[in-house]
Amino acid sequence: MTPPVKLACRHVWKVYGPHPERLAAAGADLDAIRASGHVGAVRDVSLEVGEGEIFVIMGLSGSGKSTLVRCLSRLVEPTSGEILYDGEDLLKASPARMIEIRRHRMGMVFQNFALLPHLTVLENVAFPLEVQGLAREAREARAREVVALVGLQGRERHFPRQLSGGQQQRVGIARSLAVEPDLWFLDEPFSALDPLIRREMQDEFLRIQRQLKKTIVFITHDFDEAIRLADRIAIMKDGALVQVASPEDLVLAPADDYVRAFTAHVARAKVVTLGRIAAAGVPEGIAGTLPAAARVEDVAEQVVAANAPFAVERDGQAVGHVTPAAVIAVLVGRGG
Amino acid sequence: MMLWRGIWALLAVAALVLAVLLPEGWMWPAKEMQLPMARWISAGMKWLTDSAAIGPVSFKDLTRGFAAVVEAPYEAARVLLVDGITEGKGRRAATIVPPLSWVAVTVAAVALGHYARDLMLGLLAGALMIYLAVFGQWESAMVTLASIVIAVPMGVAGGLALGIAGWRWKPVERVLMPLLDLMQTIPTFAYLVPVLVLFGFGPVAALLATVIYAMPPMVRVTLVALRAVPAEIMDFAAMAGCTPGQRMRKVMLPVALPDLMVGVNQVIMLSLNMVIIASMIGAGGLGADVLESLRRLNIGGGIEAGLAITALAVVLDRLGQALAERAGGRQALQGPWWRRHPRLVLVLAVALATGLLGLVLPAVQDWPKGWTVTTKGFWSGLMEWINVNYFDQLETFRVWMLEHLMLPVKRFFFALPWPFVLAVLALAGWRLGGWRLSALAAALCLFVAVTGLWEQAMMTLYLCGISVLVAMAIGVPLGIWAASSPSAGRGIGGVVDTLQTLPSFVYLIPVVMLFRVGDFSAMVAVVLFALVPAVKYTAHGLRSVPAELIEAGVVSGATRGQILRKIRLPMAVPMILLGLNQTILLALSMLVITALVGTRDLGQEVYIALTKADVGRGLVAGLSIAAIAILADRLIGAAAKGARERLEGAG
Amino acid sequence: MKHLFLTTALALALAAPALAQVESDDPIKLTLHDWTGQLITTNLMAAVLEEAGYNVELVQADYLAQFAGLETGDLHVAMEMWETTGRDAMDASIATGNVVNLGETGMKAIEEWWYPSYMKEKCPGLPDWTALNDCAELFATAETAPKGRYLGGPVTWGGFDEERIAALDLNYEVIHAGTDAAMFAELEAAYQRQDPILLWIYAPHWAPQKFQGEWVAFPPYEPACYTDPAWGSNPDATHDCGKPTGPIWKVAWKGFGEKWPGAAAAVTAFTIDNDTMGAMIAKVDLDGESIEDVVDEWMDANEATWSAWIAQ
Repeated sequence: MTPPVKLACRHVWKVYGPHPERLAAAGADLDAIRASGHVGAVRDVSLEVGEGEIFVIMGLSGSGKSTLVRCLSRLVEPTSGEILYDGEDLLKASPARMIEIRRHRMGMVFQNFALLPHLTVLENVAFPLEVQGLAREAREARAREVVALVGLQGRERHFPRQLSGGQQQRVGIARSLAVEPDLWFLDEPFSALDPLIRREMQDEFLRIQRQLKKTIVFITHDFDEAIRLADRIAIMKDGALVQVASPEDLVLAPADDYVRAFTAHVARAKVVTLGRIAAAGVPEGIAGTLPAAARVEDVAEQVVAANAPFAVERDGQAVGHVTPAAVIAVLVGRGG
Repeated sequence: MMLWRGIWALLAVAALVLAVLLPEGWMWPAKEMQLPMARWISAGMKWLTDSAAIGPVSFKDLTRGFAAVVEAPYEAARVLLVDGITEGKGRRAATIVPPLSWVAVTVAAVALGHYARDLMLGLLAGALMIYLAVFGQWESAMVTLASIVIAVPMGVAGGLALGIAGWRWKPVERVLMPLLDLMQTIPTFAYLVPVLVLFGFGPVAALLATVIYAMPPMVRVTLVALRAVPAEIMDFAAMAGCTPGQRMRKVMLPVALPDLMVGVNQVIMLSLNMVIIASMIGAGGLGADVLESLRRLNIGGGIEAGLAITALAVVLDRLGQALAERAGGRQALQGPWWRRHPRLVLVLAVALATGLLGLVLPAVQDWPKGWTVTTKGFWSGLMEWINVNYFDQLETFRVWMLEHLMLPVKRFFFALPWPFVLAVLALAGWRLGGWRLSALAAALCLFVAVTGLWEQAMMTLYLCGISVLVAMAIGVPLGIWAASSPSAGRGIGGVVDTLQTLPSFVYLIPVVMLFRVGDFSAMVAVVLFALVPAVKYTAHGLRSVPAELIEAGVVSGATRGQILRKIRLPMAVPMILLGLNQTILLALSMLVITALVGTRDLGQEVYIALTKADVGRGLVAGLSIAAIAILADRLIGAAAKGARERLEGAG
Repeated sequence: MKHLFLTTALALALAAPALAQVESDDPIKLTLHDWTGQLITTNLMAAVLEEAGYNVELVQADYLAQFAGLETGDLHVAMEMWETTGRDAMDASIATGNVVNLGETGMKAIEEWWYPSYMKEKCPGLPDWTALNDCAELFATAETAPKGRYLGGPVTWGGFDEERIAALDLNYEVIHAGTDAAMFAELEAAYQRQDPILLWIYAPHWAPQKFQGEWVAFPPYEPACYTDPAWGSNPDATHDCGKPTGPIWKVAWKGFGEKWPGAAAAVTAFTIDNDTMGAMIAKVDLDGESIEDVVDEWMDANEATWSAWIAQ
């Protein structure tokens, strides 16, 4: 059962240089683009993001992931292609229509927070509403709600420079959610944070998403972060997509050596789901029932401690069982 | 590399040989190739003032109307600070409402300082205001302040508007950039007469000349500041759904504010630099006091009025910087307005109280004459003592410098044939910055040649060249010293800052008394003025060498001297070159003033044109100075860029 | 500063009822230049016109640049236009038909080579100009030696000193000061040291009051000397004589007399002599009195004189 498509892009190109259209139209390959003195930041990318899905675009610096997300939000004008948001081609939208869409239906979180230094936390969060012309009381009331959602109550009157990096990004998140967008772009939101804070923010992000169920396009260069958060991951290299798959499929069936290089060191327990290692049938003496989508790492302790098989079910239907041995095999890197 | 060294050496030898063999003025541009540009400009100006019209409104009415619009706020500022409201005119005028008393203005300065940062700043501002009163400069200082408080907002607003337009529309920027170059390099004297003709005689013309002079840095700073707004913030503005207007007002300008304040600071400082020149066309105030004192050879009076300008500059500068740091800093107080603005209430109360009290107790309104102090006797005594006791030594030094340095260099420049100069400049341009720079250098040189001012231009090059040489020879070691220890840095920094804000007119007369009228006095005055960037940039360049590099030197066992010679100085070269660039520009801007001690260069040409109200002659000479300045700026800029790239390439 | 500028708005709001009936309430604009004598003359005139009930405004303007303003009517009266330095500009401006000459101020401009008295002991032949060549080395400096050094006025003042030196075969070189301030600075310094100096000095001015000295006696000026080579000791050259002395003129915008006939009559009637002016200049420049005080003093002491000017 696949959810309806919220955002799709078809054959999107972004080429920098003197004659970008010509190369995009010809579908030139990387070498041809480079040879003609152009830069192919995004090359012929097509993808679909389902409603309520966390879609992660992963790539190293210079892979074009940042340009791609800016094409999707039309912060950067693609050379050619289509961007369909709820079926409407954004590239054909007038400037006024774009302002309308951005004011009400899109939110974005930035790597370096992009907070306005002269405004307080509350004013920053209320800013997108102020731009819409909402009255002060109404926008501040709404801003207080989102500030509370990200756990910053009591700091409404602080200025950004008085906050830690993690707190600043919470403000950025709150601000992007203030207008209640359906579509939420996060451009490497946690890359500028320390590892410990990053982990905490990822949990926070998952908590908020469980609550709000947005459609999310999340950019990162950190593969661990990608597999932790993603429903699906798109791996980018030199402006083109290499593979789009669930974390599990990426690790277990990398499309090429480039993807394999990322996945080789990933502990399989982090990605392998119980559904994949479940054996057929449900034996006697099960210790309990676990969802098929659960990742081995998250349930391993429970299964091993029970020292008994667990039933695995998907959508309320039993699909098989897992044994402690199978879980341990994944943990030591053999199974799956 | 070797080849080019050879070529440059060859050219240098050729120049020397030419200078020795050829008589002075052997091949200056022929009369036939000169264009009557001065006549053209004068005719154009005459057309503009007499005939030009937009529909039924003549151009002159337009400019006069503009002047009238500016005059209103200026008069308001004067009423507040200087005149008060009076009945009747002239000598019989009776004051109905007095201007702000010295107590009120001082309290306002303290309150503003406290608001901007803290009580310390407030007390500094207040102390400097008291200084103005104690030395009897109060009324003049308030006249100057009245024009500054109008000129600065005009310069800032105008600069901001042009900067935003330049940022928004590329073609505007393309027109703006060369215009700014000209505005910053043409000596002010050159456009005083056109300003007078278009805007009428009086303080408003002086005000507008000040704005023209002080605005360019604001335009540049605005352009840079808007470009420096982080890309992410721009993206955010778009994603928040800002219209272009909202983006500018609500996002870009507030974010760029700290950078923009640098421009505001520049406008303040340049406006104060203009005080003296503006007083020549009717601004009055401290500038007029300086000029008047000098005319009476009242050296002490000139120094006191000059230091009063410095004091005003310090107050405005510190307050401006503090306000910039404060921008978006604190939370607003709650409650009715008199609760939210306690300092404003205090100032208003003091103004009212002292205004009323002043009716019975005049000392509260005007600082009593009996309380003023003067150092005039000290300064003229000091001058006389130096003059009587040390003139012979100074004269020996002056003669030695003239005979061994200045006259040979002058002869060198006068002997060079103009095609040779053109060729060398074009070649240097090509080497440093490619064919574009080469073409620019040739064009600018040709411009000077066809103006018919070649002799004056060579004189300018000679005076400016020597002065820059001497300024660098003194300034770079001083800069090294200033960078060597914090205490030396503070001491030298203080002297240098004073030199920068003290109007150069103040030391012109003592210099003439000790060194007579002539090129040497001119050189001394230029060096004193142009020394500042040489010191500052050298010190800054040395200080900003990365600590790692110095540590690397230390662990390799280098001595302090070796670290300076082998690490810090080479790393500071691009910065020192920038300092050289600024030194040259300042020296050129000072040349107009040295015309007052009798030099016969382009500056004198501009000055003569000013006294004869000859628009064309002044502008042509001014443009020639601008040509030399732009040439020097571009060539040295290209050299500095090359040096930086080599350093970065190596590192 | 009080008597300087006033807003038109305020003037309208608070029109002064005490004033006598005058032709127009518009302010008459008198120009101020940068030497004390002119400031005194102009302030005197302004005080007199105000006594007569006129509104007066004093405007800082350059000595020669002011003609642009006088021609357009931006400025109305210039109180000191010296025959010796301003004649050409004045004639050119009058030729446009927009400026008129309102006659002499009564002061005579003197401009000539000058030396301090102590030089007479070192060069006994002075003040006669023929003694100059004997003393050339005395007046020489490193740059000019063996020629004597003569410190001329700013280039803009003209004065034909190069021509004079050539015509009279003087062994001297002209060094032009850029401003009179620079010139008098050198004089002051030399005077303090009692060193030789020879320079251009003009009167009425405070310098001849402050420093003891004399003017060099050249063959007296006649117009023919400047135009006819045959005149004077050198049959082949003009300018073989001293500098002209001449009146100091008053000039005005041509519309001045029509708009304010009474004021124009008063300005035309204004006269003062060199000695009175010299004494006032000395009070300001040497004794440090303010121009306002000196003018008030004169007004109090000479009521009969100035009343006669405005009575016309």
